[in-house]
This record gives sequence, structure tokens and C-alpha cells, in this order.
Amino acid sequence: MSARATTLPAELLASGLIWQADRLASPAWPGWPTGFPVLDAELPGGGWPRDAIIELISDRPGIGELQLMLPMLRSSPPARWAAWVAPPFLPYAPALAASGFDLGRLLLIRPHDHARSIWATRQALNSGACHAVALWSRNIDASALRRLQLAAEASATPLFLYRPNAAARSPSPAALRLQLLARPDGLGVVILKRKGPVTHTLLRLALPSRLRRSPAHDALDSLAPARPAAAGIHPGPR
Amino acid sequence: MHLPDLPLQVFTRGLAEAGALAVVEHRPRQQVLAASPAARACGVEPGMRVVGALAVAPGLVLRDRDVAAERALLAVLANCAGCFSPALSLDPPDCVMLEVGTCLRLFGGLAGLIERLADALAAQGLDVRLAAAPTPLAASWLALARPGRRIEAKPGWTEVLNDLPIELIARGGQVSKDNLTLLRGIGADRVGAIARLPRDALARREAVAVSAVLARARGEIPDPRPWYQAPPTHASRLLLPAPVDATEPLLFACRRLFAGLAAWLTVRLAAIDRCQVFLEHEDRPDTLIEIVTGEPGRCEARLGMLLREHLNRLELPAPVEALRLHADCPVFQPARSQDLFGDPHAARDGALRLVDRLCARLGNDAVFGLRLQDGHRPETAWSAMRPGHRPASGVQAAPGQRPLWLLDEPRPLAAIDELRLLSGPERIESGWWDGHDIRRDYFVARGPDDALWWIFRALDEPGGWYVHGYFG
Repeated sequence: MSARATTLPAELLASGLIWQADRLASPAWPGWPTGFPVLDAELPGGGWPRDAIIELISDRPGIGELQLMLPMLRSSPPARWAAWVAPPFLPYAPALAASGFDLGRLLLIRPHDHARSIWATRQALNSGACHAVALWSRNIDASALRRLQLAAEASATPLFLYRPNAAARSPSPAALRLQLLARPDGLGVVILKRKGPVTHTLLRLALPSRLRRSPAHDALDSLAPARPAAAGIHPGPR
Repeated sequence: MHLPDLPLQVFTRGLAEAGALAVVEHRPRQQVLAASPAARACGVEPGMRVVGALAVAPGLVLRDRDVAAERALLAVLANCAGCFSPALSLDPPDCVMLEVGTCLRLFGGLAGLIERLADALAAQGLDVRLAAAPTPLAASWLALARPGRRIEAKPGWTEVLNDLPIELIARGGQVSKDNLTLLRGIGADRVGAIARLPRDALARREAVAVSAVLARARGEIPDPRPWYQAPPTHASRLLLPAPVDATEPLLFACRRLFAGLAAWLTVRLAAIDRCQVFLEHEDRPDTLIEIVTGEPGRCEARLGMLLREHLNRLELPAPVEALRLHADCPVFQPARSQDLFGDPHAARDGALRLVDRLCARLGNDAVFGLRLQDGHRPETAWSAMRPGHRPASGVQAAPGQRPLWLLDEPRPLAAIDELRLLSGPERIESGWWDGHDIRRDYFVARGPDDALWWIFRALDEPGGWYVHGYFG
């Protein structure tokens, strides 16, 4: 296949009837803006998907994983909850309030066992009363994932699922999988799975409240890809 | 509206399907007062001796007449009817009169009103005979004798009354038994015959009340009735004919009680946020289930759903004989007018229903929201609260940086050599007044894995370094 994809007439491409493998999928609704323009540019729909599981894989707390979610939660409409199920530690109210989050919309659920966490997440998704639901789970099996996926799709509520590093190796029905890495001056994000071409770029997100030695700006840092790119097909940011 | 076989309905209301059941009264002699259709099919008739009834239907269940329950059921019917019109009057022992002339337009005519009323009564499990007439007395006579009859106020409508049996005028106690015997003795067995009797002759026999009753029924003289007022608290009781220990029949019976509660709330223009359900056992004290909803409301489906969650978690110590529902302190909440483009409050109601559901299944302490509190110590700068309440603002923000994650208990650190202290120290020294005083120097540190930690050094004995939070 030729590297030049411009042999097709422009109006045929623009009509949306033809999808080329190096383009991001365009979902029915635009995504929720993440608050980080570098990340928005790499996600289909320009933001978090509205009706899917978003897996955030990280092994340790304190690298900025909550701040990734906060800009989207700050913009939630009134009378909608932000439900957090089984967080590993206590969300600290003064810090949340200082970051602009409305504490009256937070719904913290701490069940006693894992099965109840899954049940509570499904109830929160099915109710349609949540702007977003976040679940922290160490080991979640495929059937529970599938049920949560169906619940998220049915009620058009995004589910942020925080999982440990070991989960990166196992397959998952989530539409978007991000690996979170600690970086000295912000948060590093690698997109493991998305509705679009595979990318290995490490996105460096600047977190506003973290201490930085030097003023940093958003930068794209390319890691060496795992194998040489096939001739003619170049993953390009859209 | 007339409740036929009221003594029997008291017991069959709680069941989806009543078996062979008969109600027995002991005065003047032990006889069957009322029998269910299944019992009648076996041959049991009202008025039979108890011994004879048992001989005919050996599997018959006998219950004693419960007059207090009958009065309560009449009140339930009144509440249910009160949702349609505020002008309500009781006609004991088993009739309720509803003045509907002013609300006919809202319900689209008499036929529409009767249909909706019948639906509401069926939802309560009540078997009611309805009739409509221009005067209350005529309506009650028709409900007793010709159920389903509806008469408009046209000239000449009183002819219908002439055909009714004469025993009806003895209801209400104004016409004594002697007068009734007198009338029957002279051969008047229909109401129409009274109209032809001369007034002064009746007065000589002290039977003026008879013609007065007929005049009231015809609308010639006014017939004022006392209006029914709903009581300030609601207490209803449902007797189960047989002891029950499964969840589904209990939920079915409770649905009736909740429907009655919702009707009482509608009549009182009120809402409640808690009610108590008592499960009565034979030899044990009652089991109490307290149902608390987040916000005052009248939705019976929500109460039923919460009760289901509570019953699933509860272990019944013994089979349940009767159910009692108690609700007090209603909050005044006028009904909301309907919005043309959908209910703006539906989103809020859905959010509260989610919280109720989670609390009922997981327990109240597993679901909470956060709020700020005044306090220098990190542990006291926040507290848990019922989710969704917006507390008053005005709490001062902490001067230093605060982490998004806080550990429940500070974790001791073995050594701090791998950590790079980025900012600090922030001295927090407070809390001498309640015994949990702390003297700590807080730092923001970068761990070896590039995560940001919030650590402190305790200045009291024994000292040492601890991790208290992570900057998530």
C-alpha cells in the first residue's frame, strides 16, 4: 500500500464513509475534555469517552493519578454525583476543595468486600445519576469487567478503573487503557489501547499543583518503538 | 363507596389469594359472620353455626371479628379516596362518602373518575362497591342495594329510589326498629311506599323520622355531614391469616401498607423521611425495621425497595403474624405542578435514590461524603457526612500544600535516606484540649520512585518519621 493516502478524492474521505487505519475513530459524541490538551489530541473524540471503561494502570499512589481525573470531574453538571468506589486511601477533603472540586458532589463508597464493590459500581452506573464513577480494584475478572462495560454503555457514564501494573498484560474490554508513569515534573502517560492507531509516545502532562524544579512545558518525548514501523504506515498524531 | 363483607376484608387484604376463611362472632351466639368465596363454594353461609360450618368445610380457617381493624380499614379507604377529593365523610360501619361535584372536570367526567378510583382501590387490595347520586344518603343506599349505578341530577331522578328495599332507611340509627316493624306491618316494603303515607299520621305514631329520612335522600332538605380529617400520625396494621416467614409474601403485604401511607401523605400534603415497620411474632417481642430515606418523599416504590434490601439482610427469629407500620412527624410538602417538558427534579430524585439503595445494602457507614472542618490537625480538617449536603463555607484553607490521599493511620518510615525533601518544614502543633495533641514537622518528599509523599517527623517521644499521605 502506498504511503500517499491522498489518491482518494477529498470529499470521499471527509464524508466519513471510509476509515483509514491511521486515523483515530470518531465516536458519536465528543469526549469530555480531559483538561490536558496534549492528551486530548491523542484521544478519539478529543477527550474521555462518554460510555466506556477507561483503565488507568499504575502501581503506586502519589504520582498524580487523581489529578488526571479531576479536571473532568470539576466540570460536572449540578445534581450529578462523582462516585468513588473502594479507594485505597482516604481522599483528603481540604486538598480536594483547594483544587476546585465541589465536595457536595462526592460520593464515597467503601464496601467490605470485592463483590460488593462491583455491585455498588454497577448500581452507580445504572442509576444514571453519576457524572463519572471511579473504581479501584486489585484483581477483577473478565466477567465483572464485561458487566461493567455493559452498564457504562447503557447509561453513558464513564468508569475510571484503576488497576495495578500486572493488569497491563491481560486483555480487557475497556475502550481506552492508559499506563501511568511517575515523572519528576508531572505525569507520564502511555496509551496502551485506544480506538485508533497504536502509539508508543510518552505524553508528559504538566500537573499544576506539583512542585517542579524548573518551569516545564508540555513536550512529546518519543521512546524507541518495540519494532521498526512497517513501511508505508506511520502512526501520526491527529 | 361501600366495603362489602368488611369483617372478612380485614383479613383477606394482606393475601394475594385467600383460601377458605370465615369470620366468627361470639354474640349473640357463635355463628359465622362472613365467609370467603372459597368457603362459600364449600357450602359455608353467613348465619350458620360454627359447628355446622366446620362439618361442611373441615379445612376452614376461623378468625374472630376485629372491630378496631375494621375501623382502621375504613380510615384506609378514606385516605385512598382523599387523594381524589378533599370533601370526604365517613358513614360507619362500612361506607365512605366522597363529594366529587367540584372535581369532575379535572378527572374528565364521572366515568373517568370512577375508573381511576377503582384502580387506586384495587392497588390497595380493597373490594369496594361504588355508586353515585346527587345526595349523600341516596348514594349510600344505591351502593348498598344497586352497586355500580350512577344517577345524574336530572329532574325526576328520585324515582330510582322508590324501588329500593325499606331496610335501608334504618341505617344511621335515626329510624328505630319499631318504626321499621310498623312499616313492614302495614305492607310498605319499598322506599317509595313511604312517600305516600300522610305526615300527621306518622307523627302520631312517632315515626316522623321516616319521612325526614326520605326527604333528605331526595334532596328536599339539606343533609350536612362532618368532614373527615386525616390524623396527624399514621399507624396501620395488617393481620396475616397465617404465619409467614418468607420474604415475598411479607413484601406483598407491606406494599399495601405503603400504599396506605402514600395516600395518607397525599391527603395531608406531607412527606416523611423515616418510618418504622414492626413485624409481630407470637411469643416474642416485635422486630423493628427502621426505614430511613435521604430526603422526605412520598414515593411508595422507594420505601418498598428499601424494605426489600432490609429484609434480605435480616434473619427472622420467628414467623410473622401481623405487620404494623408507624409514621409520625410528617413534613409539609405541597405537590409540585407538572412540568410540560419533563420533571426537572427527576435527576435529583434519582441521585438520592441511588444513595438510599447503597446505604440499604452496604450499611450507613460505607457510604458518605466529605466536608471541611476547622482544624489544624490533618485528621480533624475533614469529617464524614451524609452525601450531598452542602455545608456552610467559611473554613480557612490550610497554608501549605495538602495531599489528595490521606492514610487512615500514619505509617512509620524505616529511614528517610532515599527520600528527597522538597519543601517544608511545616510545623503543626495543636490539639492539647482533647488529648490528641500532636507536634509534627511536615515535609513534602519525593520518593525513590518519583512519587510525592507527605511525611512528617514527630517531635514528641518516641519521635520518628512517618508517611501520612500521597500527592495523587
